[in-house]
Amino acid sequence: MSARERNSLSSKSKASTARADAHSAHPTTESASAAAPELIGLLTHEDIDRARDRYEVERARSRGQGPRALGRFRLLWLLVGPGILVFLGENDAPSMLSYSADGARHGIGFFLPFVLLTFVMGFVVQEMTVRLGAVTHRGHAELIFDRFGSFWGFFSMGDLVLGNFLTLITEFIGIRAGLGFFGIRPVVAVGGALVIVVGAIGTGRYWTWERITMGLAIFNGLFIPAAILARPNWHAAGRALLTWSPLPRGSHYAVIVLILATIGATITPWMLFFQQSAVVDKGMQPRDISAGRFDTFLGALLAALFAIAAILATVPLFRHGITAAQFEKAEFAQALVPWIGQAGAALFALGIFEAGMVAAIAISTSSAYAFGEVLHTGHSLNRPLRDAWPFYLTLTGSACAAAALVLIPAFPLEFVILIVNVIAVLAMPPALAFLLLLVNDREVMGEHVNGFWANLAGIGVTVLLISAGIGFGLATVFPQWLGG
Amino acid sequence: MADRANLNETMESGAPFVPLSAARPNLRDPRLVLSLLEADQVVAAKSQTHFGRRALSLGIRLTLWALRGYVLLMMIIVVVSVLRALHGAR
Repeated sequence: MSARERNSLSSKSKASTARADAHSAHPTTESASAAAPELIGLLTHEDIDRARDRYEVERARSRGQGPRALGRFRLLWLLVGPGILVFLGENDAPSMLSYSADGARHGIGFFLPFVLLTFVMGFVVQEMTVRLGAVTHRGHAELIFDRFGSFWGFFSMGDLVLGNFLTLITEFIGIRAGLGFFGIRPVVAVGGALVIVVGAIGTGRYWTWERITMGLAIFNGLFIPAAILARPNWHAAGRALLTWSPLPRGSHYAVIVLILATIGATITPWMLFFQQSAVVDKGMQPRDISAGRFDTFLGALLAALFAIAAILATVPLFRHGITAAQFEKAEFAQALVPWIGQAGAALFALGIFEAGMVAAIAISTSSAYAFGEVLHTGHSLNRPLRDAWPFYLTLTGSACAAAALVLIPAFPLEFVILIVNVIAVLAMPPALAFLLLLVNDREVMGEHVNGFWANLAGIGVTVLLISAGIGFGLATVFPQWLGG
Repeated sequence: MADRANLNETMESGAPFVPLSAARPNLRDPRLVLSLLEADQVVAAKSQTHFGRRALSLGIRLTLWALRGYVLLMMIIVVVSVLRALHGAR
């Protein structure tokens, strides 16, 4: 069976695409000018913007050949983005508060190296989405519907929509909590954040949106000075990284929930959908895969550093026997004032705000990409509003609905934050199964299919997530087994 | 003119066209746009081409169903744990 079923093109176009199929198992690597020159009259604003980005990339690539480090740096600068955004976007408000809960309740012994491990797992699966996007030029949702049909597609979308919306709510919780530290009223904080979300997409250009969001995301680094102000015990941190000890004490059930929440703080279904769609919207091609891999690695590295900093910043709460859960509205920053000072706590609060802000932008965009792909309507940040209004409506609509819910009084904030990450982990194995099936599909990926080690790592991550979920299930149904 | 000459060669060879000399490319020229994009990156082509359905073996279908059952079971357990927590809070 052919990998592509083409229909309703003009007869000339049909002939040319048939030629492409005949020439190559994977025609997407062929220049459009050679494969289908009759497309000349059908170009859109989106194509032209993408071509402009590709022009810059090709120019940088040709100048970066040889020993010219500056040219290579420019090429990387042009090609990084989706990987950094996905990982710093996932270092979001609930994630940072989960990491903080790790540090505040159980110290650094187990969770410091465990958080590092989760980022390694995150890199393994996100790298696959780079290849999928660059090779197929299709988003994740579109590929699942195409290859597995709408029955499995709608299941997959159901998980994504539920997870994204719940997570989006928690991002606005983080925005509200972060700015609440500075005395900003919730309605102003949430309303201001919505304006930023809409402003970022208002540029009508993927490249500009990406750079604005990356500019915001780099403030995730605010957790580093906050951690330094907490005067961490570097010797204990080093020992924890090497020995994974001391292990957390207390209720086994609470520890299992926190382990699941910590995994869910790094690996979630929206990340798969977002990065693949962003790679496509950025216009990346198979020859950009190594740069995309570097982008993903850099994103994972930065996010791991900032997550560890969040843990170290909240360790004083653990050392002084304070449980952050005692504080309403997840006001970790307020709790930290006596231990890291007003400036340190302010940095922490700004970090929580920034984490929520970037994730709100990324997650609402992820939902919009997926809806656009499934409904076959325009789904690119390079499209003007009039051409892709369902895409922009989904994006702003989901953000507005989540923001409105956060303003409901007596919302159970910390509990929702922890449980959202747990749900993300539980929904992940089917998403990983689709990812592994797609990335091993030679008709889709051609020569870029997974190798042995990538499959081993991917299956290993899936088995680990299922085991963690089963552990959570057993601990919930049979709490007496764990003495809890 | 040099760009156009390169472009003509590109149209014939299918190789990417990179006019190094131009700081600002003339992207009003659709052929330049096409030379920079892969065939499946052009919106008009992409919207009319689809990857076909793959045949799912029994093993794959069983795995997908098992994972679907796992998610549903786990969601029920999450609801149970939420109800327990709410009950405990009272």
